[in-house]
Amino acid sequence: MSSRTGKPVMRSAAWRISLWATLAFACGTLVAFVFLHQFVARDIQRRGDAWLSGEVETLGDVAQRTPKDALYGRVVGEVAELAGKEVPNKTRSNGKSVAPVFFLQTAADGSLRLWVGEGNGEANLRAIQSTNIVPDQPTDLHVEGFPIPFRVASISIDDGSHIYLGLSERDELRVLEKLRLRFFLLWLLLVLLGFGIVFFTTRRMLSHIRGITEAASRIGHSELSARVPTTKRNDEVSQLALTLNRMLDRIENSMHQLHTITGALAHDLRSPLTAIRGKLEMSLSAATAGEQAEPIVSAIDELDRLTDFLNKSLDVAEAKADALRLTRSEINLDELLRGMIDLYEPSMSERGLQVELISSGAVKIFADAALIHRMIANLFDNELKHLPANCRVTIRLRTDDNLASLTVEDDGPGFDSEIKPQLFERRVKGKNSNGHGLGLAFIDAVVRAHGGTVSASNCETGGARIAIALPFAAESPAHAQTEAVTRSH
Amino acid sequence: MRLLLVEDEVDIRRFLRRSLEEAGYQVDEAGDGKSAEQLAIDGSHDILVVDLGLPDQDGICLILRLRQLGVTAPVLILSARRSVDDRVRGLEQGGDDYLTKPFALAELLARLRNLLKRNGPASSEGTRLRVMDLELDLLRREALRGGTPLQLTQQEFVLLEYLCRNAGRVVTRSMILDKVWGMRIQPDTNVVDVHIYRLRGKVDGKGQQPLIRTMRGVGYVLEDR
Repeated sequence: MSSRTGKPVMRSAAWRISLWATLAFACGTLVAFVFLHQFVARDIQRRGDAWLSGEVETLGDVAQRTPKDALYGRVVGEVAELAGKEVPNKTRSNGKSVAPVFFLQTAADGSLRLWVGEGNGEANLRAIQSTNIVPDQPTDLHVEGFPIPFRVASISIDDGSHIYLGLSERDELRVLEKLRLRFFLLWLLLVLLGFGIVFFTTRRMLSHIRGITEAASRIGHSELSARVPTTKRNDEVSQLALTLNRMLDRIENSMHQLHTITGALAHDLRSPLTAIRGKLEMSLSAATAGEQAEPIVSAIDELDRLTDFLNKSLDVAEAKADALRLTRSEINLDELLRGMIDLYEPSMSERGLQVELISSGAVKIFADAALIHRMIANLFDNELKHLPANCRVTIRLRTDDNLASLTVEDDGPGFDSEIKPQLFERRVKGKNSNGHGLGLAFIDAVVRAHGGTVSASNCETGGARIAIALPFAAESPAHAQTEAVTRSH
Repeated sequence: MRLLLVEDEVDIRRFLRRSLEEAGYQVDEAGDGKSAEQLAIDGSHDILVVDLGLPDQDGICLILRLRQLGVTAPVLILSARRSVDDRVRGLEQGGDDYLTKPFALAELLARLRNLLKRNGPASSEGTRLRVMDLELDLLRREALRGGTPLQLTQQEFVLLEYLCRNAGRVVTRSMILDKVWGMRIQPDTNVVDVHIYRLRGKVDGKGQQPLIRTMRGVGYVLEDR
């Protein structure tokens, strides 16, 4: 059913499962990428640091060996510039971009001695002086005027001066940024792909289950021979189908046995009952005197009550086991109720009861006529037997969506609170009841067999209320719907 | 009237035979499907009474077989099953009838009469019914007792009409429910009795001979003599 009615995908179990699975997958991959990113970032920095340490050592060497004459500045400056061209992680040699490297030598007194790089080096010197830079250990250096920090390595020379080599982290950050972008795109792709795969596999899996559900729901009250579809794969779903089918086998088997037992019981009891009744009737026609006839008449009455009890017991037993066989035909409940009121009205007014039908017109259901007739007769019998004089019975009939709704209300004493919870059980009856306690159980059985619901309660005013809802037709909901639509116009 | 009774229970067969013979039928009896088939082919019966639960075969199969063999007499089916299955309904539509065990003899006899009437030459339907000094005008829906009009409701008229049509014969409560109200139900309460009581109050006035008589344990009868 559900596949046909276009149920939104968002509400399917497949959607929910895929959503959660994807969430877990996304979190997992995200954590993995974060670790990977961390690792790559550290590696890049290590490589940068190694280069810096190497270069600064070389520069220190050169600076130490070069005589401190007029050429010193040029020689060391050129070496420094040369070194700057072999920068690691270099991305693009973009002319406009700021040089990524600076070289700075301080004199023993801390003043700027030699500078190679962008600007005059004053800002860099101030930054170096305010930061504690340990030799042989590259450190981050934030320089005023440069948004991106430098990585700085230093070395001390014998003459008391210090050499600083700084490398902008710009290229490193750019590499990492690119990496992050790639990671993000890859992650997005993986997550979407994962979602797709999970969604389609679960949907396929669940469509098997839906098939099983549909087939199982088609297996109605009486049609037990059908089985749910099975697949060749030996997975959980096909095992579910197999288990269901085995269960259905067992149910069908016990149902069959129940039919056999009730059938045999009915037959075994009915035959002697028939014989007894026949003999009683014959002796009744032979006996002429009234006094002689009396015990025979009461015996026949008792026998008829026993027969009725047997019929109802078997009906209730079968209905409780969902095994009531229905022969459906169209019934107009409005017409039926009017006929029934016509039949019961004299008996009711005899007992001082008033009965009223509130109905908006024809309500047609597709149901077993014999059972529905007996059920409604039971409702009336119930009122007739249990209501004290001068009460009023109100019967309401209307249509609710695709249900026929029938309520029987009275203004009598209502149901005993003691027995209220088990009203629809067999053999439950009020203290003052002289019935055999099958009436309401029978009503419940018939309503259930037709796929309807029944409830019993006490009204606010104190009387009893029995509410029955019967579907127009159990087998074809579509038909019932169109009927409901035409009715509403 | 020749009647073939097919029933395996000896007890039931015995009392049925007795009461059917009392009612004027000439009864042949069979205890199983095979002998029933034999008897049905040999003799020309006007009507058949067949129990569904036979030892050697299903009663419905027997009926279908007899129909194939050219037996056209109507069949009254006796069933120990309380829910009547579709095949019986099919036969019912074909002109046969069924009765669930246990049943009142009066009802059996009434149904047999109905089947024979249906099968026999159609009696000309008059527009008036007359039983003793009771007169029913079916067209104008009026009832007269000794020339005096009776104030009957629509339903009371239908009930009285049914009793008149079966005058002199016992009708059971379930027959009345079936034919007058169209319901095959067994009420726990005396709803039919109250209707009859009211009708009797209108039909049988003071000083008049009571026409509607109660047959205790069986039903009612409208006296015709």
